[in-house]
Amino acid sequence: MIRDFMGVLLATFAAAFVLSGPVSATPAKEAPWLPEAAAYRLTLFLGNLAPLPWGDVEAAWSEPYRGSEFSTGALAWLEGESGVDTDPLLDAIAGEDRQMVFAEATRLIARRIEEELDRAVAAETPAIVQQAVRTARGLYRAFEDGIAAADPDAARRLGLAWLELNSSTGSAGVLGAGATPADRDTQEAARAVISGYLAKNYLVDDFAPRQTLSSLPDSAAASGRAIEVPPSLPPGSDIFDQDPLPLLVLNFEEQGIDETDLPLVAYGDMLFDSAQIFGSPARDLGLACSTCHNRSDVNQRLFIPGASHQPGAIDVDGAFFNPIFNDRRDDPLDIPSLRGLRFTGPYGRDGRFASLRNFTRNVIVNEFGGDEPTPFMMDALVAYMLEFDFLPNSMLTPDGQLTEAAPEAAKRGEAIFNTPFAGLGDRSCASCHIPDANFLDRRAHDIGSVAPAYEGARAGAMDTPTLLGTAYTAPYFHDGSLPTLAAVVDWFDETKSLGLTGAERADLTAYLQAVGAADEPYEAFDTENTAFRLAFSELTTFASTLDTLLPRRDAKHILLLTDTVAADLAADASTMSNLAARPEVYMLAERLAEVGDAVRADDWVAAETSWTAFKSEADAIEERAF
Amino acid sequence: MAIHLNRRTMLALAGAGVVSLATPLAAQDTALRLAFIPQENPEKLLGDIEAITGWLACEIGVPVEGFVTIDHAAAVEALRNGDADISFMGALPFVLAEAEIGAVPLLSEVYRDAPSYTGRIFVRRDSGIDALADLRGRDIAFADPISESGYLYPLAEFVEAGLVEGPGQAEAFFGRIFFAGGYQQAMQAMAEGLVDAAGASQYADLLLTPQQQAEVTWIAESAPIPSHLVIARPGLDAALRDRFVDAMLRLNEPEHRNKLRYLYGPDGYVRADGAAYDGVRDMARQYGLLR
Repeated sequence: MIRDFMGVLLATFAAAFVLSGPVSATPAKEAPWLPEAAAYRLTLFLGNLAPLPWGDVEAAWSEPYRGSEFSTGALAWLEGESGVDTDPLLDAIAGEDRQMVFAEATRLIARRIEEELDRAVAAETPAIVQQAVRTARGLYRAFEDGIAAADPDAARRLGLAWLELNSSTGSAGVLGAGATPADRDTQEAARAVISGYLAKNYLVDDFAPRQTLSSLPDSAAASGRAIEVPPSLPPGSDIFDQDPLPLLVLNFEEQGIDETDLPLVAYGDMLFDSAQIFGSPARDLGLACSTCHNRSDVNQRLFIPGASHQPGAIDVDGAFFNPIFNDRRDDPLDIPSLRGLRFTGPYGRDGRFASLRNFTRNVIVNEFGGDEPTPFMMDALVAYMLEFDFLPNSMLTPDGQLTEAAPEAAKRGEAIFNTPFAGLGDRSCASCHIPDANFLDRRAHDIGSVAPAYEGARAGAMDTPTLLGTAYTAPYFHDGSLPTLAAVVDWFDETKSLGLTGAERADLTAYLQAVGAADEPYEAFDTENTAFRLAFSELTTFASTLDTLLPRRDAKHILLLTDTVAADLAADASTMSNLAARPEVYMLAERLAEVGDAVRADDWVAAETSWTAFKSEADAIEERAF
Repeated sequence: MAIHLNRRTMLALAGAGVVSLATPLAAQDTALRLAFIPQENPEKLLGDIEAITGWLACEIGVPVEGFVTIDHAAAVEALRNGDADISFMGALPFVLAEAEIGAVPLLSEVYRDAPSYTGRIFVRRDSGIDALADLRGRDIAFADPISESGYLYPLAEFVEAGLVEGPGQAEAFFGRIFFAGGYQQAMQAMAEGLVDAAGASQYADLLLTPQQQAEVTWIAESAPIPSHLVIARPGLDAALRDRFVDAMLRLNEPEHRNKLRYLYGPDGYVRADGAAYDGVRDMARQYGLLR
C-alpha cells in the first residue's frame, strides 16, 4: 500500500476532499477530481458568478480542468466510461438556463454514482468491484460538503454506508492467498442507504429553485432553511505559493534591524499574511495579501476559474470575492509586484490611488469584503509594506546605469533605451522608465495597450511600471498579454514603428533583462533553511508583537493575531520535514490559542502566563528542531 | 498524452495480458519488459511509463517496454511466463512471488532516508483514547485486508499487546472493523469521527488537511516494514539485470531525481537486501499467506 500512498502523496501531497474550510493560509493540496465531478463543481462555482460566464461552463465539460491528470474533458471521459446521456445537460447549457443546468448536472452526477454502484453489485471480481466503489465514492465527493452542511446525521450515515460498502467488496488476497468473498447482504444494504438518499435529494425531477448553486441536498434547499455551505474553490484552482519562492528584501532587515524590535512592522507583516482581515469567501479560503503577492512579489501560478484568465492574474472586482463590489466587467489583471512599493506610487495598475493607505483599505474592504480596518491595522500594514525593497542587482548602479557586470548586448541595448524615437513622440523608453528614478515616472500614460471599453473611451492610461525585478515577473502589461520581455520589445517596435533591426531588438531585450535581473531572486532553501523554518520564524516574529499588545490590553488586535498565527502555526506544521517534531509545534499553536482564549475571557494574568510559556517553548523548539 | 485509456479498456487488456508501451529504438534482440501495478489513475501511469522507459532505454542501451497489469498477481504471472522481466512490487506480494516463482529482489524504494516505513494506529486527539486497550469495543478503519502498513502490521501491535489473540480474532476485540479502501479513506473516516481509530502508514496523516493533521495523533507504531521493491524474474540475463539496476540507481543522482516521480515517487532506490524481508515472510506465515 505504500506504493498507492506515496503515489498519491508525492503527486498531490496532502489531500483534502474540497479546497475549503478551516481558516488557514496553508491550503491543502487536493486529491485529483474525477473529470465529471470536477466539471460539476466548476459548474456550481461559475453558475454563481454574475454575469454568468457561459463559455466557461461549456468548457468545464468539454475540456480537461486546469491541472487535471486526465487528458480528456468530462464529456469525452463520459463517452468512454459511461452510458449516461449528456444531451439534456448540453441542451441546458446551450439554452443558458441556469436552473436547468444545475438540475441536469446534478442528476448526471447522481446517475453516474448509481451506474458505478450497479457495476459494483454486478461484478464478480473483487478488483473490479473495488474500482467501481472507489469511482462511485469519488463522484459522491461532488455532493459531500453540501450534505455535511445541511444534514450532519445523514452525512455520517452515508459515510458509514460507504465504509460498509467498501468493506464488503471482498478481497482477491495476495496472489490468491488470503482471498475473502464479497458480503452481498451488507453490500446491498449499504448501497440502499446511498441510493435512497440520492433518489430523494439528487435524482429528483423538480429541484427547488436555487438562488445560489451548491451541492446542498434538495430536501434542505426546499426547506428554505438558511444553510451555509463552507466556501470552496473549484477544481483547477491554484492558490499555492509560487515555486521557487521569491526572495523578500526588507529594508530594515538588510540593515541588521530585528523585526521583533519593530512591533508595528511585525504586526503589519502578520496582517499581510492574515486571511482574517478579509471577508468571506477570501477569509474562509485562507487568502491573504501574501497569497497573490508572495514575499512582496507576485504569484505567477495563482489561478481561480472564472476570476483568472491565465495564471498570475485575477479579477478582484468580480462576483466571487465581494458581490457588492462586482463591477460586472471581465477584466482580470496581472498581479503586480510590490517590491520597492514606497517608490512606485500612485497605486493600482492605472494609478487611481495616490495613497497607499487608501489603496490598501480599498483592497481589504471593497475588493475582499473585509470589515473596516482600524487605524492601527492600516498603520501597521503600510509600515510593513513600505519596507519592501527592490532586489539587489550588481548589474545596475544605484542611479540605474549598467555596471561592468552587465553583458555587452545589454550595454548596446542601453543606448537604444535612451534614444528618442518619433514613434514615441520624440521620447525614449527612458523618458518614462527613468533610470535614476527606479525606472518609472509615477505617471499614467495611454500607450495603446488597453482596448477602448466603449466608443470614445479615454480610459486606457496605465501607471508606468518599474522595470526592476521584471526578469522574474512575467507575463507583462496590465493584462499579462505579453509573455516575455522580448515580446514587450516587439510590441513597442511594431506598434510605435521604432524600426529596430532584429539585432537591436535583441540588444534592447538584453538590456531589459539586465535591468530586471537580481543577484538572488529566490529564497534558497536547503536542509538548514527549510520552508518550515522560514514559516516558523515568521510566525514567532508575528507573535512577538504580543509583547507590545498585552501590556496595552489591546484585545481586538491580540485576537486578530492569535487567531491568525495559532491556526497558521498548526497548519504549517504539516510542511515540516522533521515529522517527529510536529507534536511540539501543535502544542505551541495551542499555547498561542490559549492566549486568545484568556483574552476573550478577560483573564489577562492567564494570557500573560500562556504568552510567557509560548516564548520559552518556541525558543526550545528553535534550538532542538533546527 | 497520446493514449487515452479508459478503465474498462485497461482491465480488458490487462486481463488479456498487457497494455504495452514500447520505446521506439533500433531493433535489437534483447528488450527489457517492465510490469507496473496500477494506481488510481491508470491514464497518468501510462504517461509516466512512457517517460521512464524512454530514459531507461537510453541508459541501458536496449529497448524497454512498460505495461500495466491488473494487480500484483498478474504481474507475478507475467514474470513467471516471461511476459515481464522486471516488476514493481509490494513487500508482501514479493515474498509470496519469491516462494512461488523464485522472484529476485533487485531494488528497494527509499522514503525519507529509509528503505522501510511503519504502520501506525491513529486517533483523534480529543478522543480520550491513549492506548490500544482503550479501543476495546470501539470501531476502527484499516486501509485494506492485504495492506502491510494499513492492516497486517498495525493489527500485529494489538496481538503483541495481548489484546487480539491472533489473525482472524480481531472481531472479538473491536466493535466494528472496516476496510476503507486506502490510507486516505481510513484516515478521513477517523478524522471525521465515523470510526474511533485508523490503521495506516506512518505518513498517512499527511493525507489529511493541515487542520485535520493538527487534530489527530497516533498511539502505536509497528515494527519497520521493508518498503516496496523492484524484482526480477529468475533467469533474467545477469548482465542485463545489472545494467538495469545501475541505471535505476542513477535516479538517485541530482540530475535524474526528477524522474523518480514517474516511478511511484520514492525519494530514491537502494539495492534490495533480501534478508530485510524476513519479517514480512514471518508475518505472511502468521496470517496463513505463506507456508
